[in-house]
Amino acid sequence: MRKYLARRAVYAVVTLLGVSLSVFVILRVLPGDPLVAILGVEGHASMKPDDRVRIMADLGLSAPLPVQYVHWLGDIAAGRLGKSFFRGDTVAALIAHRGPISAEIAVLALVISWLVGLPVGILSAFKPNSMPDGLARAMSVLFIAIPGFWLGMLIVLALLFWFGYKAPIIVVHAWQDPWQNFQIVIGPGIVLGLAQGAYIARMSRSCLLEVISEDFVRTARAKGLREMLVVMRHALPNALLPVVTISGVLLGFVLGGSVAVEQAFGVPGLGRALVTAVIERDIIVVQNLVLLYAVIFVAVNVLVDLSYAWLDPRIRYS
Amino acid sequence: MSDPVSDRKRVSLDRRTFLKRAGLVSAGAAVAGRLSRPGVAAAQDATVRPDPAAKRGGTLRYGVHTAPAHFDVHQSGTVANIGAQSPMYDTLLRRSPKDGQTVIPDLAWKWDISPDGKKYTFHLRKGVKFHDGADFTADDVKATYERIVRPPKGIVIPRTPLFSTVGDIVVVDPHRIEFRLTEPRPKAFMLGAFASGWNIIVRKKTLEENQGNLRQVMAYPGTGPFKHVSRKDKEIWIQERNPDYWNKGLPLVDRLEIYHMMPFSAELGAAFLSSKLDYARLLDPVSWRKAKEMPGVTAAAFNQSVIQAVWMNMKKKPLADVRVRRAMHLAMDRHTLVEVVKDTAPMQVGGFVYPFHEMSTPRADLEKKLGYQKDIKPAVQEARRLMKEAGYAQGIKGLDFVVRDANTFKLWAVAIQAMLKEHINIECNLRVVQISQWFDEVGGGNFDLGISAIVSTLMDPSDYFSAWYGKDGPQNYSYWTNPAFHDLANQIERELDDSRRKAMVRKAEDILESDPPLLPVSYEQIYDAWYNKVHGQNPSTFFGIYDVVRWDNVWLG
Repeated sequence: MRKYLARRAVYAVVTLLGVSLSVFVILRVLPGDPLVAILGVEGHASMKPDDRVRIMADLGLSAPLPVQYVHWLGDIAAGRLGKSFFRGDTVAALIAHRGPISAEIAVLALVISWLVGLPVGILSAFKPNSMPDGLARAMSVLFIAIPGFWLGMLIVLALLFWFGYKAPIIVVHAWQDPWQNFQIVIGPGIVLGLAQGAYIARMSRSCLLEVISEDFVRTARAKGLREMLVVMRHALPNALLPVVTISGVLLGFVLGGSVAVEQAFGVPGLGRALVTAVIERDIIVVQNLVLLYAVIFVAVNVLVDLSYAWLDPRIRYS
Repeated sequence: MSDPVSDRKRVSLDRRTFLKRAGLVSAGAAVAGRLSRPGVAAAQDATVRPDPAAKRGGTLRYGVHTAPAHFDVHQSGTVANIGAQSPMYDTLLRRSPKDGQTVIPDLAWKWDISPDGKKYTFHLRKGVKFHDGADFTADDVKATYERIVRPPKGIVIPRTPLFSTVGDIVVVDPHRIEFRLTEPRPKAFMLGAFASGWNIIVRKKTLEENQGNLRQVMAYPGTGPFKHVSRKDKEIWIQERNPDYWNKGLPLVDRLEIYHMMPFSAELGAAFLSSKLDYARLLDPVSWRKAKEMPGVTAAAFNQSVIQAVWMNMKKKPLADVRVRRAMHLAMDRHTLVEVVKDTAPMQVGGFVYPFHEMSTPRADLEKKLGYQKDIKPAVQEARRLMKEAGYAQGIKGLDFVVRDANTFKLWAVAIQAMLKEHINIECNLRVVQISQWFDEVGGGNFDLGISAIVSTLMDPSDYFSAWYGKDGPQNYSYWTNPAFHDLANQIERELDDSRRKAMVRKAEDILESDPPLLPVSYEQIYDAWYNKVHGQNPSTFFGIYDVVRWDNVWLG
């Protein structure tokens, strides 16, 4: 187990170094001048070459690229994560302030996806090709197909025009005001959760259909166990493994989807901060946030792998 | 010399004295009304006073633009800074919040202009304090303006050209300062420059401590009606009433909550329509129209100092030909272009000079000219004739049209592409790029056509003639030159007589019409809305969103 963990840790570090290098290089080779956002159109137009040299040096952009990259890694190792190009706010402070909102949305989406997807999948699997199964399959295709940001915008507009309602417009943490906080995260949580729930419903249905034709399920039924017990104690645990795997992958979709959905709902989370940073070409913020998303994605996938042993005692890591 | 605001409380006024003074003032006003400069005298006594009916207290929730990219107001060119930071600072002079136009006293309670127009003397208020408790003196004004007029290396201030004729800035005494000009400029131009909302007065010590760069200094002390309390990046900036504000009785609200929201966005509209904001600036047309229908809400539209235009790279052969550029100018159906974006951003038709400025061709006359008429057939006919004369009767193919990635520009680009193709058989390939890349491409000459927007500080043509149309002007992206225009623009800058200036501006317009340095698409408008409990602010007659954003006279009913 330790060997396995060490190997996974090495893979994770290599993956993250690859991500960091890619994002660092991409952001620097992309065309466009970050000084436009800093100085504005008029300031940029009237900037003299001397001014440019001085400002680029102030921003740490005049050093050779390898030096800039090493400085960044040093900042990460020291936990500083660097400062926004523009206002001088630290990226660590940004993550501490906005991260909890995005984390709540991701967790809520995951919980909703399981709460909705699993029962629908079970129902579909045990009544295959029935009316509820058909409805469930149609709904799951619908929720997979609908773009989250579009659904989000519809919800925002419907609430606004029918009820004159809009969720709080600035960050309110759960420990400051749980009700206000709930209003911020519930919309994106539902939109992202329903989309992921559709995947889980389809995956759990197909896995369960496979498992319920196995001998041990037939044996359980032959012993006279009630159908509920057969499902909950025998079939479901064996069908869960692929569902857990896909949940790890789906978390990546939730993280990616939250960028657009947070924007649609006007939620001041990390996804929105990333969009703004991209527009501003605040490359320090962009590279740190992309790396943070990569860290979360890698960590979740390691946890998913480790959960296999817990879900299926036959699996052993060596 | 004393400051009338500080002296006001020492004056006792009985009935007899009041009647005598009222008589004198009335007689003075009657005489002054017949003098040549009635506006200046009246303006000099027009320091903002609290509305007698005003109630005090409360929190004003104001939604405006996204967060600033940095905190240095002097170096900025966006309302992201002015909208959030202006309430914390004062300027030497300011525009009256009543009309947004009249120049009135601010930190300077009086000003004198020498007869030759080469010396501006400002008399500064006494007893003014910065938010950190330091006294405000002429040294702070000198340090502020030395920086604006002659920025140190690495500091870029878009307003520097306004003060190109300022030579020495001399502190006469702690409350009097002189600006000595190398040559005179029209008074309205110079006073407008001093009254610009961008030219906030900052402490000399603040500038020294930060090596003249305030880009990353969040709350440097000002003398303004509100003081910094807290800020959450890209969310909210909270300010509270400055209890020691020099203008006693102001500000009227206790607290400002300034919310950063994308201009013309559904999010800003939703926040206002759901009453999460008391006042919204830069509303999108759909939300604004909805707000206009709501009971208890006032919605206003006003002019903004921005031109939306297409630049043509004159280093490329077909576009160097004046006939081709004139033909493209005539091929634009401007009324349709305004219509195309009517649900995205409010716009109006205009030519090369702000269409709402007193010196420009009046709108009714402009709309009689080719290129601005609702019926575009005669303009298209002339455009085709010009193309034929230039040897391009078959049209031009494959122009690279660089489009800034914003909704309005994308919509316009498609419409303009279609108009050029249909009217004069010019085919363009659209290339949508981010704003930062747009300036790289266009600045580097890697384009044929490019659509974007540019802004000026003043409505006065002398502010933007050199920047937009001047030879090597910073925003002359077309690389346009026209010696006759450049000579005329120089004369306009120096002409002190308003009527002669106006005639010269009209002549300049004619040159620009016949030899277009760009294709004017439209001029921006601003949509504001507020709940009627907000009193003291109606921007209907304002020019732009950069000069009157102090909120000191605004109160909540």
